[in-house]
This record gives sequence, C-alpha cells and structure tokens, in this order.
Amino acid sequence: MARRKLLDLARPSRQHLLGYILLAPAVLLVGLIVVYPLLMSIDLSLQNVKLPRPGQHAPYTVANYSKLFSSQEFWMACWVTLKLVVTVTIGSLIVGVGSALLVNNRFRGRTLARLAIALPWAVPEIIAVVIFARIFDTSFGLLGWLFIKLGLTDRMIAWVSTPGPAFWAVTMTMIWKGFPFVSIMTLAGLQSIPSDYYAAARVDGANAIQRFRWITLPLLMPVLGVTLVLVVLWVFRDFSIIKTLTEGGPLKATQTLSIMTYDQAFGFFNFGYASAVGVVTLVICIVASLLMLGRGSKAMY
Amino acid sequence: MKRTPLQSLVLYAAVVLAVVLILFPVYWLLVTALSTTAELTVLPPNFWPEVPQVQTFSRVWAERPIPTWLLNSTLAALGSVSLSMVISVLAGYALSRFSVRGSQSMGIFILTAKMLPATLLVIPLFAIFRQIGLIGSLWSLVIAHSTLIIPFTTWMLKGYFDTIPRELEQAAMVDGCSPLGAMFRVVLPISTPGLAATSLYAFVLSWADYAYARTFLVNAPESWTANLGITTMRGEYTTEWNEVAAAAVFVAIPIMLIYIFLERYLVGGLTAGAEK
Repeated sequence: MARRKLLDLARPSRQHLLGYILLAPAVLLVGLIVVYPLLMSIDLSLQNVKLPRPGQHAPYTVANYSKLFSSQEFWMACWVTLKLVVTVTIGSLIVGVGSALLVNNRFRGRTLARLAIALPWAVPEIIAVVIFARIFDTSFGLLGWLFIKLGLTDRMIAWVSTPGPAFWAVTMTMIWKGFPFVSIMTLAGLQSIPSDYYAAARVDGANAIQRFRWITLPLLMPVLGVTLVLVVLWVFRDFSIIKTLTEGGPLKATQTLSIMTYDQAFGFFNFGYASAVGVVTLVICIVASLLMLGRGSKAMY
Repeated sequence: MKRTPLQSLVLYAAVVLAVVLILFPVYWLLVTALSTTAELTVLPPNFWPEVPQVQTFSRVWAERPIPTWLLNSTLAALGSVSLSMVISVLAGYALSRFSVRGSQSMGIFILTAKMLPATLLVIPLFAIFRQIGLIGSLWSLVIAHSTLIIPFTTWMLKGYFDTIPRELEQAAMVDGCSPLGAMFRVVLPISTPGLAATSLYAFVLSWADYAYARTFLVNAPESWTANLGITTMRGEYTTEWNEVAAAAVFVAIPIMLIYIFLERYLVGGLTAGAEK
C-alpha cells in the first residue's frame, strides 16, 4: 500500500502532492508555535486581563488601546525607539561601510582583517553588555577616565544611571554589536561589482572619489537597502542589550517599545495591556519595513 | 594597480587602527578576566595585569555553575536545532523542487517572522507553557527557539537546494528511485556542507537567546542557560568583574569558534528572506 503510494507520487501529476506533504510539518509546527500564539496575543490585547487563566475569557474591549494611545509613557517609548533606531542605524552604517571599504582593498593579511572586523557579530549580546558595562562603570570605567583625560568632563560620569549618557551607552554598545552585519553585507555587495567597471572608469580618467560616487555607491544601494531594513528591525526588537545594560532606565530614558512590552507583561503582569503594546510595535515594524523596502526597490532602477 | 609606498603605509595604518579599535572591547574582556580585584578598582585603569591571573578561570569554572549553564545552553540548542532542521530540510526541499502554491508568500512570511518582536511572542508562549507545565523546563526553550530558527533555516536550505542540479534526482529516478529516495539518497548526502552551515547558524541563534530563558527559567536555577547565568553574576552593588569576565569568556568561546568556521556562509543566513 505504502509502496504504491510512493510510486504514485513519482508521477508528474502527483508531484504537487509530495510537495505539500513535505511542507506540512513546517506549516503545522509554525502554525502551532508562531501563528496561534500571535493570534492569542491579539486576542489578549483586546481583553482587560492581568494574568490570563485557562478557560476564562474576559469580554472584548479596546480599553488597552485607548489607554495606550493616551499614555505619555507610550509616546515616550516611541520617541526613544525612534531616536535609538536612527542613531544606531546611522552609526552602524558609517562604521560598517567604512570598515568594509577598508578591508576590500588588496593587501597582505586581508582575510584575517576581515575576520577581525566582523568578530563582534559572534560575541553574544549578553557578553557585549558585560564588556561595555565595565567600560561604562561609574567608579572605575575606562570611558569616564578617558573623558577626564581628554578634558571633556572633570569627574566620572554615571553612564548608566543618568538619562542622557545612558542613552548613548546603549547606542554605543548596539553600534559595536550591529556594525559587523553591515560590514559583512557590504563586503558581499562589493564582491559582486565586476572589476571591468572600475577598469573602464579608469580608462575614462575617473578618480577614486568619482569611481566611488558613480560606480560603488549606486551598485551597493540595493544591498544597503536590505541591510538598512534588517538593522532597523534589529534595533526595534532588541531586548537583551537594553534590558541588561540599563533596564530601560533611568527614568525610562532607554525604554523602547520592546522593553515596555516586556515590563508591562512580566514586571506588572498586565498581559492584556502588554500585548496591546506588542501588537502596535509589530504593526509599526511591518509598516516601516514595507515603506523602506518599497523605496529600496524603486531606488534600484 | 600598484600603490606607492606612502599609499601602502596609509592603508596599513588605517587597517591596523580599525582592527585595534574594533577588537579593543574583546581585549578589555580578557584583561578584566586576568586582573586582580585590586587592579580593577583603581584609576587610571591597568591596560595589562602585572601577573595574569590565569587561575581565575579555573576558580570560576569550579566554584560557579558554569559547566551546568553551558550544558543547558547546549541542550536547548541541540533540541531546537534538531527539531528545526528536520522540519526545515523537508520544507526547504519542497520549496526548492516543487511548484507549491504559496511558495512566494513564504518569503513574506519569513520577513514577518523577523519583524515579530520576541517580547510580543513571549507573552502568549508564557501563558501556554504555564498551562501545560513547561515553565522552568528546558523544553520551553526548545519550542521558543524553534520559532526563531525555522524561518531562517528553511530559507537557507531552500537556497542551498536551489544550487543542486535537478538532473541528479532525475537520473536517480530513472534508475528506479522514488522521489523521496532521490532526496534522501542523492540530494541530502551531497548537501552535507550546507546542512552543517545551516545547523551551526541555527545553533548560534539559539545560544544567543536571553529573553525566553529569562522569562521561562528565572525561578529554576538548575535550568539556567549560560546567558541567563552570566547576568545573575552581576551584583546590585558590587560586581566581581574578573569572575564575570572569566565566565563570559567561557560563554563566548563556542560561538567564536563556530563563527570562524561559518564566516563564508554568513551572508546567506543573514539575508534569509530579504532578497529581491
């Protein structure tokens, strides 16, 4: 019986069926552990619940959403998220593209240099926080000492317990962790540019800056567009760096939407309200990346 | 094109400067681990310990539950990677070989999965796991990490299978293999490098998690993963930085080694689902 079935599947007309059978476990599992929980959180966001109990369902209400949009904390979190997305993305792009262009030159030891500049990608976020927490330490931190040496301040800065500096501490840590991704992507993009283009430009007398402006940059644009979207999404969704470096504080100065979602759920056990924050975050992520991808694909032509 | 000696010098200087700046935090971690507590609580900071305290590593390994944490991280990763790979090999092969309806929407789905904040998904998963009694068990991580891994591995494997010529399976089927036989006896054996790279990438994803471990396991110290354990070593008022740093080195080493093997496969994994 089983044998006949397999033989049947070999017929071209049955190929579709085999495709669906192979895909079925993935669809089932993803449905069970991603789609169902996602629907459940939308459902939770429409109920006034603290900690959901099995079998109980509170009446539907939009109270969470109206509370959300009228809360100052939410708009503050939006503002912090936006600031962080912009600073970390710009920083990662500058360092990432710069370092990629540098090691794209031909020189001895290039392979090793490439491995080195992308190494922070392999450092787990929690470990990066351990390193930077010590660099930003209030009493004996390296950065505070450096700032005094350079004459920027006259005493140690309480980096993670002062609102402004805490934001920059998070930004710096995230750039160090985030730029290698940009480097890796840029290097891949640079390698796909045919060297003939540069040779032709040289024959026409273009200098290095012109070659960068008129060949490298336009051909790198599609890769950079995708990279930009992925970096933005990463900052939007990050939890571990902010949570372990500043806990979203002080005075919520580093509380992004992700951190707010988590703290509402597991700090205050407002599961309904937290789900509403999370759903809004997801919608913002989807809209933002569709806008960016739309622009990106147009920029290709 | 030949460079003048001056240009070469500038290039090398720039490369060395960039590498030094980028790797400095890693160096700082090692210096911290090798210093004495006294050396860590002075200004100006010591850039190299007078006598490198190698014994801090053995002391931390023996006195803190580092081996348990590493074992838990490894078990969670092995579980979620195995589950995800079995599912993704089948799905990736189907997406690569059969004109399955909805295979285009798979790309969109994977991108959506990347947008899904873990802090949102963790809420319903917590409610579900509490109901079925998985809180405090490593199985909760096997499931939660699979939500992170499956979208990536499916897409990476589809891309890898796309590079294997269909003629190989057709030849096998002419010789009497069933389509499934052709997949298991012909395609999978020659895909070993791709399968290995994808599994390693998935391993890194699982190993890096903190949000799920913290939420599901915080009250079960015997199940703590490496990342969760490390964060508990930082005290509210005082922190033994050298011990934390030594523990951090133990946690970072496996991922660093994987990275060196994985470097040339990274681009495929990082861009999964975002092409076009």
